[in-house]
Amino acid sequence: MATEVVEKTGEDAPAAGKLSTRFDLEKETELRFEVEAAEAAEQVELELLTGMAEVFGSELNRNKKYTFGPGSKIAVFTWQGCSVNLYGKPEVAYVSKDTPMLLYLNTHAALEQMRKQAERDNERGPRVMVVGPTDVGKSTVCRLLLSYAVRVGRRPTLVELDVGQSGVSVPGTVSALCIERPADVEEGFSVQAPLVYHFGSTTPGTNIKLYNKLTSCLAEVFSQRCEVNRKASVGGCIINTCGWVKGSGYQALVHCASTFQVDVVLVLDHERLYNELKRDLPHFVRVVLLPKSGGVVERSKDCRREAREEKIREYFYGFRGVSFYPFSFEVRFSDVRIYKIGAPSIPDSCLPLGMSQDDTQLKLVPVTPGRDLTYHVLSVSSAEDGEEGVRKGIVESPVCGFIVVTYVDTQAQVMKVLSPAPRPLQRHTLLIMDIRFMDMK
Amino acid sequence: MAAGQRAEGGELYNEELSPAQLFSARSRSRRIPVRGQKDFFPDGSAEQRRRLDRSLSEHWSLLTEERVERLGNLVKGCWIPEEHLVELQSPAGKFWQTMGFSSRGRQCLHPEEALYLMECGNVQVFYQDLPLSIQDGYERFLSGGSASSVSLQQYQVFGHLRRLGYVVHRFDPSSELSSYERQLNLHRSRDKAGVKRKRSTSPSPTPTSTSTPTSSSSSSTAPSCSQAEADGAASTCQQMEAACVPGAGEGGQSPAEGAGVRHPPAAAPRWDFSSIHFPDLGYIGSPASPGSPAPHGCLAPPDPALLPDCLAVPPCDVAPWRHRVNLRQVKMSSGEQRQRDDERRRRPDVSTDPEVQQCRNWAEYHELLARRRAERAARPPSPTRPAHLWNREVTPLVDPDEDVSTAELLEKLRQVQTSHLLDGASRLKASDEWRISFNVYQPDTVADFKKSRPGKPHCRVCVCSFSDPVPDLRALKLLALQSGDVQVVVAVVDHGDMSFYTFKDFQLPTDVFG
Repeated sequence: MATEVVEKTGEDAPAAGKLSTRFDLEKETELRFEVEAAEAAEQVELELLTGMAEVFGSELNRNKKYTFGPGSKIAVFTWQGCSVNLYGKPEVAYVSKDTPMLLYLNTHAALEQMRKQAERDNERGPRVMVVGPTDVGKSTVCRLLLSYAVRVGRRPTLVELDVGQSGVSVPGTVSALCIERPADVEEGFSVQAPLVYHFGSTTPGTNIKLYNKLTSCLAEVFSQRCEVNRKASVGGCIINTCGWVKGSGYQALVHCASTFQVDVVLVLDHERLYNELKRDLPHFVRVVLLPKSGGVVERSKDCRREAREEKIREYFYGFRGVSFYPFSFEVRFSDVRIYKIGAPSIPDSCLPLGMSQDDTQLKLVPVTPGRDLTYHVLSVSSAEDGEEGVRKGIVESPVCGFIVVTYVDTQAQVMKVLSPAPRPLQRHTLLIMDIRFMDMK
Repeated sequence: MAAGQRAEGGELYNEELSPAQLFSARSRSRRIPVRGQKDFFPDGSAEQRRRLDRSLSEHWSLLTEERVERLGNLVKGCWIPEEHLVELQSPAGKFWQTMGFSSRGRQCLHPEEALYLMECGNVQVFYQDLPLSIQDGYERFLSGGSASSVSLQQYQVFGHLRRLGYVVHRFDPSSELSSYERQLNLHRSRDKAGVKRKRSTSPSPTPTSTSTPTSSSSSSTAPSCSQAEADGAASTCQQMEAACVPGAGEGGQSPAEGAGVRHPPAAAPRWDFSSIHFPDLGYIGSPASPGSPAPHGCLAPPDPALLPDCLAVPPCDVAPWRHRVNLRQVKMSSGEQRQRDDERRRRPDVSTDPEVQQCRNWAEYHELLARRRAERAARPPSPTRPAHLWNREVTPLVDPDEDVSTAELLEKLRQVQTSHLLDGASRLKASDEWRISFNVYQPDTVADFKKSRPGKPHCRVCVCSFSDPVPDLRALKLLALQSGDVQVVVAVVDHGDMSFYTFKDFQLPTDVFG
């Protein structure tokens, strides 16, 4: 039984007029709270008064106020016991004793053991893949394990394969990020020099071949990095995956395990997936079944879409939309080449009799700029601007940035774009995404 | 003091009006009688004849009516036949906002403007010190025959549009941008340049001696003014920082150098999971996995050295969690279920294969898989494309190796090619047969209309007679090219009746990309 002491002290709160609630947490308990998702919802501030506590693996500073915006779902966990103050009015706030944190910590301990061994034997560290259906806390477990690893002095790599809800870059991309410090309590991991590849859609199902191809690309680059950087090699990687665990989605998971040569697979809350992976992965891969936390909330479709939009906004305007000031300028159609990855399959009636088209999913198709381009997110590929015919390597080239088309003038043959950098465009090869972004706020 | 003036055969006389006459002149209806449609179509009935007679007599009475205007309201002008314009000799009235132009310090009106204003009773034009009647005006102003003069039909269109409230100016082809200039977006910078120039000139603006009425910044000066801005727009010498730097380069240094790091592993798999304890909830049904920590599934507390901040934590009991995994039921259709069962029967556990058991890591496993694949490679090769199909005169629509977007495919299937009004227009030789007469601006812009910077016209009008042939495609292309992005309206005059036609260039919507 958690003994929860709630004191309502309206006056002594420094933030004038804000309701202040004090929670005293016993050791190994967790305070979960959610901030209302509505646009105009009040922010909630969190302050650690005594003891020690952490939010998803990142420690809280004492007497510092952390602000959480609308839609945040936060769990404050303590190993030793602590007391915290919440200012503002969260939608829900309760203390739970029932958390799988001890299991996660033991998982970290096992991984750390493996890193120690790798260091000793001059080997590569553990490569971990986190799988599970949607809404089981995959990203949170990744964040937790990465933060713990950084706190014991490792340099792990986060490989983000969740194209729907990317934690590193805008949605519709796969990426890898070297983690050098624990995640910021409010903002998450600091995104510095990530390696980002263009996928173009929010579900791997639209082009599973491309998805697997990009997974292989990331694996290759990561292996190269491991070969030259000892610390990264020992740190290993933690791979966050999509919540699609059936059919092709499952095949993609097996493919990912194979190309990354994973050592440990953490299955969150899905016994059947656990058994299938045990069957389909060779015996030297350790498959571990872990429970999900009771605090995980299911997110609706709208909620996911909003999160995506917020992520794109964050790319252009910075965290909470205040730190960056993007540029808007016109780009002539003749200056850029826009491609879409994946040609549509041609009906058999258009092909010579008895022939079938070989794989079209990795092919680049030029896109004629038109009004339907408006609001699409475009990736600026880092591929060198070569001849028109040289399309090779664009799919496997990382992305150097993103722009959004805000207006297309077909008469003048120009489009207006929102860009994080001033003109001219760094590169002139653009890849179109299915994702649209309207700059409304 | 009011005076009715009339010129009859050059003889002029003034007539004083009595108050009663003045009053009746003022209260007279000023409405122009409306003709009903098809009133002129004869059906032989007495009733129609009566209606026609009445309409005719209304018109006659309107024409014979004496025009009464206040002398103070009449602006005096002087007809200069050599220059084909009317010079104003007293200050212009309100009409100056939308009509007339300045030339060599004089205020002038075009003949059609002067005639319209005469008809409205705003201007009185003198020639050789004698006032011109409206009939004189029609005769003198609309004759001429030179290129700058206005025909009767053009005047009718001009008057009609003016009466409807539109602002109508003569069209000057030289002031229009060429399509090339438009492509370069010169018009915007040119507008800016015009403003700057105006500010920088001396405070007493002396009107430049051009007879072009439309714009003050003549096209000859525009290119030099806008040079700097065009340069700025097209400059590519600026360099910028990449928005997000790809990290690929880091790993690319020299992969071969570090390749030796990977040791050939010992006989056993690298990780000894019997000594590395994961809190795995899945043990219970798998006795095959060796070294489960304890039958009841209680993990010993991990070494604090492994944990951040050297945490000391109690032992971890896995057992209670076992019942709490997978609480959410996965919904599956019966078909899916069957498919899965089939799959399970067909595909046994990969690790039971003795050869796989021999593998100790992924590298060896991949090798094994590659070897097996090579053994199975006796499969028939994929059909290559039959070359003979492409040797003949008629080739298949698409090449299966080619990547074609849906749009391209549709384009290939298309029989009738789309064409735009402007396609190839620039190559056509200009002809004088059809020309644009007027720029028309919408009535709602009149309030803040500036003759020096009229902006983009609402449309341009080309005048022709009902008996003229319909313009051919060539003429339309030339007109469209001349007009640029403003639509051209053809005003067809049929003895005082006017109809307006326009050709619209439209594009069928295509919403295929990729």
